[in-house]
Amino acid sequence: MSIPAVTLFGINVVLFTLDLVAFLALYLAISLSLNLEFGFTGIPNFGKVLFIAGGASVGGSFAGRFAAWAFGIATQGDFIKSNLIIVPQIDAILAQSIPLSIGLLLVSVSVAGAVGALFGLLFSYPAIRLKEDYLAMTLLAMAQLFQIFLNNYYPLIGGSLGLVLPDPYVWAGDSRFVVATGVLVIFAALVYVYCEKLARSPMGRTLRAIRDNEVASEALGKNDVGIRRKTLMTASAISGVAGLLYSFYTVDVLPATFGRVVWTFWPWVMVIMGGAANNLGVAIGVFVFWFMIKTLDSFKFSLSSVIPFDVTWLEYLLVGTILVCILTLRPEGILSEKPTPTLSRAKLQSILTKATRKDVEHQN
Amino acid sequence: MADALVYGSLFALMSIGLTLTYMTTRVPNFAQGSFVTVGAYLAFSMYHFRGVPPYGSLPFSFLLVGGVATAMYKLILKPLSARGSSLISLMIATLAIDIGFVGIFGIYSDLLSNVYRVYDSKFFLLSNTDFTILGTSALIFIAPLSLALITVFLWLGLTQTKFGIAMRATVENPNLAGILGINVERVYTVSWFLAGGLAGLAGSLVVLWLPGSAHIGSDFIVDIFAASILGGLFSVYGAVVGGLLVGSGEILLTVYGARLLGSWVSEWQPAMPMLIMVASLIIVPRGITSVNWRRLVFFKREK
Repeated sequence: MSIPAVTLFGINVVLFTLDLVAFLALYLAISLSLNLEFGFTGIPNFGKVLFIAGGASVGGSFAGRFAAWAFGIATQGDFIKSNLIIVPQIDAILAQSIPLSIGLLLVSVSVAGAVGALFGLLFSYPAIRLKEDYLAMTLLAMAQLFQIFLNNYYPLIGGSLGLVLPDPYVWAGDSRFVVATGVLVIFAALVYVYCEKLARSPMGRTLRAIRDNEVASEALGKNDVGIRRKTLMTASAISGVAGLLYSFYTVDVLPATFGRVVWTFWPWVMVIMGGAANNLGVAIGVFVFWFMIKTLDSFKFSLSSVIPFDVTWLEYLLVGTILVCILTLRPEGILSEKPTPTLSRAKLQSILTKATRKDVEHQN
Repeated sequence: MADALVYGSLFALMSIGLTLTYMTTRVPNFAQGSFVTVGAYLAFSMYHFRGVPPYGSLPFSFLLVGGVATAMYKLILKPLSARGSSLISLMIATLAIDIGFVGIFGIYSDLLSNVYRVYDSKFFLLSNTDFTILGTSALIFIAPLSLALITVFLWLGLTQTKFGIAMRATVENPNLAGILGINVERVYTVSWFLAGGLAGLAGSLVVLWLPGSAHIGSDFIVDIFAASILGGLFSVYGAVVGGLLVGSGEILLTVYGARLLGSWVSEWQPAMPMLIMVASLIIVPRGITSVNWRRLVFFKREK
């Protein structure tokens, strides 16, 4: 199966659509995890990029080393230095075997998830007990710290030069992007189902209780700090996996790609735009925001000849303004938070009718 | 060592503002760094188009950036909190403003370089415009001196004037202060003006020492937080001490760390303020001004 080259206005439509779907799925997963933290629990995670970059870098570095070790490829001492020689050898083996590729993908994804959770525990440690503004400042600072770490610490991903990853989709040949996008979509769908189930469960109500009134929830015997910590760890694990899947999509890890604006601020805008504590709203927010960014992107080339400055700056200014406008004009977002019924509507209806029927029988 | 003094003084100037606005309006201002950028670009523009050295642009910087900060409070934050926005919403609003500022100054620097052919607008250093005292650049003396002057003025203002006492009363209990006839709104406005103005001063001075760019302020914000948190977030003097400690600590830890452990430490210089911040959050989460030093020192004697 190869990708048909349908072109429109000089753009390969199929590749364009695939790219669109992949990024929508990626941002959907990240925004849903942020919604879990901010929307439901009230954790101001201003360091989202930290957990995404953490999963991508540690998971990516692990994937290469693990594959080299498992397939018995000599690393000649330094894995990072001989990275460009080793990875094609790994890819040659992966191209022959689908189970091995899937195995590598699953192992690295679990590592990325574990790293995300661990980072969630570790980097929120100094401030998780303090007020939410301290936590926001700490997480922002930690994200900056990790950026410095990635750029300077050579043994993990070779510092600012980055690392090429083995490609677990290489067996698909020409249609590797189809498979990579498919994996991202499946992951996003799983995250959506998980978040929706959680929101409807007693745990979801506990999270909202902690968000709305910490003292009351503590008085009712809930361990606020512990639950906040676990929520942050869960959401960070999702972010870590999302980061690694993104890196497998692009087949490399570069510290420079993990910037504060694109990976922390954009998800925040998506969540607030769509509606905090409403998973469907967040999904709509992701679509609307991405549509806006892509529209601006498509005008980039035509604009750059007209305006004498980089369009990226305009993007910064626009996104900042949009968020402030949403916050002042419609802070609840596109879809506002709704009480989530614990049972489905049909079930509730049947119970209600049964109850009223019994009542009627009693009266008779 | 000169580095330590300059860094410390400038960080202190920046974090006084953060602490001041946090104390009064209870919002950690993530756009505080951008005020520094405004000051930096004002100094750059005045030097380039009017030939005014950065020291000459200080009063303009104070007024302009103070005005910007006041406008930001009046136009965005006040309506938001009047609607009953949560603290997180206010924080993300300041972060949005910060990113908007990065965009504005990115556009401004691109315009300068593409239209007006000012090629160093994206990355500029004005250290050659500094004059020298005793063979070293004057900033080494001027930065700590201005910090000392401002601290004395703040102390005088807060303890000796009626408005300063009103300000402290507002910090203690805004409702009670309002009942007693204090114009709480004016206190808030003045504190935002001062916060912007002082960050603007720091911005005009910092380009004499470090290269300025559109995101210089965003890069500083973490250092400002570190300084304010170390200072306790509820004391202006704490911010001064915190700024001095974080700024000089960054340099001294790097220099001595490199001497003791090897030159690799010097690559980690930007990480030092964050390490100080983490240490302070774990050891004294309410900052150094919360520690009862007298009790700590005289503890044995009392026993």
